[in-house]
Amino acid sequence: MRSIRLLNLALIFAVGGIWTVNGVLAQGEQAPPPPATAEAAKPQAATLPASSGVKLPSPVVLPMREGSVKIAVIGDTGSGKPEQFEVGRMLNTYQIAFPFDSVLMVGDNIYGPEKAHDMKAKFEDAYQSMLDKGVKFYASLGNHDGSNQRFYQHFNMNGEEYYKLEKGGVSFYALNSNYMDKRQLEWFTTRLAEDTNKWKIAFFHHPPFSSGKFHGSDESLRKVLHPIFVKHGVDVVFTGHDHFYERIKPQDGITYFVAGSSGQLRKGGVKKNSPLTAAAFDQDMTFMLVEIAGDELHFQALTRTGQTIDSGVIKRRGA
Amino acid sequence: MWHVRICYSAIVIFLLCAVSAAAQSSSSNKNQGEAAEFEQRAREYVRMREGIEGQMPKLPKAATAEQIEAHKSELLKRVLAARTGATQGQIFTPAASAMIRSIIATEFKGRQREDLKKEVFEIAAQGVPVAVNVEYPESKEMLEVPATLLLALPQLPKQLRYRLVGTYLLLVDRENNLIIDFMPNALP
Repeated sequence: MRSIRLLNLALIFAVGGIWTVNGVLAQGEQAPPPPATAEAAKPQAATLPASSGVKLPSPVVLPMREGSVKIAVIGDTGSGKPEQFEVGRMLNTYQIAFPFDSVLMVGDNIYGPEKAHDMKAKFEDAYQSMLDKGVKFYASLGNHDGSNQRFYQHFNMNGEEYYKLEKGGVSFYALNSNYMDKRQLEWFTTRLAEDTNKWKIAFFHHPPFSSGKFHGSDESLRKVLHPIFVKHGVDVVFTGHDHFYERIKPQDGITYFVAGSSGQLRKGGVKKNSPLTAAAFDQDMTFMLVEIAGDELHFQALTRTGQTIDSGVIKRRGA
Repeated sequence: MWHVRICYSAIVIFLLCAVSAAAQSSSSNKNQGEAAEFEQRAREYVRMREGIEGQMPKLPKAATAEQIEAHKSELLKRVLAARTGATQGQIFTPAASAMIRSIIATEFKGRQREDLKKEVFEIAAQGVPVAVNVEYPESKEMLEVPATLLLALPQLPKQLRYRLVGTYLLLVDRENNLIIDFMPNALP
């Protein structure tokens, strides 16, 4: 067991990467880039070391290139239910084979009260193994999240409701979709205009595009954010709020994901035959693994039991 | 004679347009004036609250859950003590409420209004209290304020939030969840 822990730590440090929070880059505006496509990835079948004694239910189909940016995405997690913990354990298992060092959280991080024992029961305990390995969780706020979560040490928000972080030439923008006011929009558009990184990814709670029967697309947010994303070259958007997994067909070249079933599930929650859907799954809880290498973003969505229910590659819009 | 009648008609139409434009401009100026006063009263609350928070130990940006909980409780206690006697309408004055009501009515019409009403009544049904100097319960969901509406409403200081609950629009302190004022019939 000790050798496995040492191997995990070595993998974390080997991947490396530097995060800055609220970093500012000076750059002029970019012309809208051409649309991207999502294609099926060829399985590389990353496996665990034989000595680990652990078997992956389905192989990692991501390219596992050296120096690539490796992250996971989870959403609507903070229920404290056994299923959340099962997702956490499976995520930890896959982290050994696919050594991501960061997890993006798309909101509803904690349901109900947010006292100290709630933070432990609905977050820390579910992901303790990864926290112990130094995996960083970067949260955005959902409609069940209090603003004070931005101070919580394990959410790495640095006291801000919305922030930017960078890793390996990729800009990640965490937004607060509960309260998309002028101040936040000015901050966001200014940062985007100055951003020299080729990849721009946004993550937040409410989905501008969703085939959910219960919530569905947030059209007010779409009206405000989607033109900004198009204009400033945002490539991919991760959201939650609807409790299922959905990959949306590219919208003006932007791929939106609904990744809101890592702690809650609405079975049958996706409208069938929605014109928005490229892929959807609403029968079990899910999480995502994402690898950004060069001009390609590879993704794999897995269930609580480790079954792969979607995968593909998205080419960067400006490539 | 007909050309004289046409001239007189043109003058009358011009005068009517001018009066209408002046009335709209006056109304718009009045709204701007009320919005500015509303924003000023909101800032006064924030100044008071910042003064209180400035006397407390600063909350670290990477705090433990215990530190956050303690800070929030203490801030709430001190602000409540400073606001004894606060009543409804001190920030949402009748004039400000009328202005905001008209903004919301303009922004949300027809089906959009019905959809929003359905959502706000779901929140109301969860038992969120609507009263001044009461905490918005931490366990209760907060309805997202539609982005297009936020762009139309008077801008608040970053420490404050609009919240829709049933037919009420609340003003809530984002750090201690205190409802500092509310207005009824925001969404008729």
